[in-house]
Amino acid sequence: MTRLLLRRLRDLLVILVVVGTMMFFVIRLIPGDPALAILGPTARPADVAALRSAMGLDGSLWEQYLSWAGHVLHGDFGSSITYHQPVLGVVLEHIPPTLTLAVLSSVISFLLSVAVTSWYAVSPRNPLARALDRLSALGMAIPDFWISLVLVLVFSVTLRWLPSSGYHSLFTDPVQALPALVLPLVVLVIGQTALFVLTLRESMLGELPLAYLRTARAKGLSESRVMLRHVLPNALMPLITQLGSNFAMLVGGIVIIESIFVIPGLGHLLMGAVSTRDFPLIQGVTLFVALLFVLVNLLVDLSYAAIDPKVRVS
Amino acid sequence: MRRNRTLVLAAGALGLIVLIVLVLPVFLPSVSATDPVHRLLPPSAAHLLGTDSYGRDVASRLVSGGRASLGLSALITVCAAATGLVIGLVSGFFRAADAVLMRVMDAWMSFPAIILAMALAISLGASLWTELIALTVIFTPFTARVIRSRVLAVASRAYIGAARVSGMGRWKTLLVHVFPNVLPLALVQVVVLAAAAMLVDGAMSFLGLGIAPPTPTWGNMIAEGRSYLVTAPWLVVVPGVTIMLCVFLLNLVGSALRQAVDPRARTLHELQRLRTRTT
Repeated sequence: MTRLLLRRLRDLLVILVVVGTMMFFVIRLIPGDPALAILGPTARPADVAALRSAMGLDGSLWEQYLSWAGHVLHGDFGSSITYHQPVLGVVLEHIPPTLTLAVLSSVISFLLSVAVTSWYAVSPRNPLARALDRLSALGMAIPDFWISLVLVLVFSVTLRWLPSSGYHSLFTDPVQALPALVLPLVVLVIGQTALFVLTLRESMLGELPLAYLRTARAKGLSESRVMLRHVLPNALMPLITQLGSNFAMLVGGIVIIESIFVIPGLGHLLMGAVSTRDFPLIQGVTLFVALLFVLVNLLVDLSYAAIDPKVRVS
Repeated sequence: MRRNRTLVLAAGALGLIVLIVLVLPVFLPSVSATDPVHRLLPPSAAHLLGTDSYGRDVASRLVSGGRASLGLSALITVCAAATGLVIGLVSGFFRAADAVLMRVMDAWMSFPAIILAMALAISLGASLWTELIALTVIFTPFTARVIRSRVLAVASRAYIGAARVSGMGRWKTLLVHVFPNVLPLALVQVVVLAAAAMLVDGAMSFLGLGIAPPTPTWGNMIAEGRSYLVTAPWLVVVPGVTIMLCVFLLNLVGSALRQAVDPRARTLHELQRLRTRTT
């Protein structure tokens, strides 16, 4: 267990270094001078040069990289050019909306998919259970940006039931926060539930031919009890993995939905940072997203080891 | 048998869509002919799917956008599948390469895809090529991982050991014995990739990171129609439903194919169907 943990922590460090380095060089592919972007096209060249050096943008690419990496190692991510604040603070400020969406949509999708799949497993001939199960194939095919627009058209524009955009904190202002969260959550839940149902069904099917089910049936358990007490718990593992990697992707990738519904989360922040050439902010956000991504994957792996003894041994 | 019918029907429908996209533009009104008098018309006999804000015929744009969307998705699929296959094969078969390659793949996957796409699109100009590069890079690690796990399973079989004992070279073993056994899975992966590529391609053009207007793609048609969501909803609905239909058909083909190449999955489904009938 400890060895596993240590090995994963080493991997985590390697991944962060690789991502940080790749990011540093990729964003420098973006043409445009951040100093010029701040001061505007009418700025005097001397001012631009001064700002460039203040932002650590002079010197060769290599020198810039070394100085940036040095600062990061000391916990200093630099200052955002557009927010005029330390990057770390800006990033932390934008985490709650994204995390709210990611956590809520993951939990709802997980529960929904387990409910739908177990219902189908227990009563495979119920037409509604079957229809819901089949619907998952369609749910996988819906483009999220498109269904967002359609939902806005139906529920905000035509029926006027729900706001089409906006965000309020769920903790300080739940009455205002909930209606605005409904549409983005529905969009996220549709795609995820479809994926989870397919994953869970596949893995439940994989359990069906195993011998322990014969034992369970032989001792007189009803078919639905066999499904719910024996097959389902054993089939949950792949779903947990899927849930974890999906959650990690949500944390870094709700870009489109956040921008359609104007939710001030990490994805929205990132889009803005790229369009304003806010290099320090882009670097900070990506490092953070990568960190969250590997941490969530680490947690999934550890929970795997905790649940399944076979993983611990290998 | 039922699976085969699904496969044939879904593949046939997809083939029909491809055929329409390739042939129909010849017979439809021009894609770029603007007609300010007849703008934002609802679907009618003259314009089957209505007209957009410039008075262009939506049906012709949809069909011609299909060339871009389907063509680009196919191209992305081929590139990502090929690189993923090579990386997966090498990494699954050579332990030394595996450690390095999989770490790189992990880092790659934790890199925000959209940033890469945006950086490429902004620096090189949003075009077919930047989207192709960005999406190939995004999809490669997923394919590589799937292929690798299959290679690992194949490599532990006795006949691989037998090949080594009989003096066959490592690379030749990989090509002659491992590759053919991985190929069916790779084909399934191609279909899965194509479905994913269609969705992400739609999202990219929607964000303005793909092929730029006035060349129509299904994604940028949705983006352009967004401003007229209330007055002309068909501008958004029509291309969206088209993307959905294609992805849905591809998913059907994918799952049917997988059951065709993987006997275990097939038996499982037979089992489940047996249960459906008996309980």
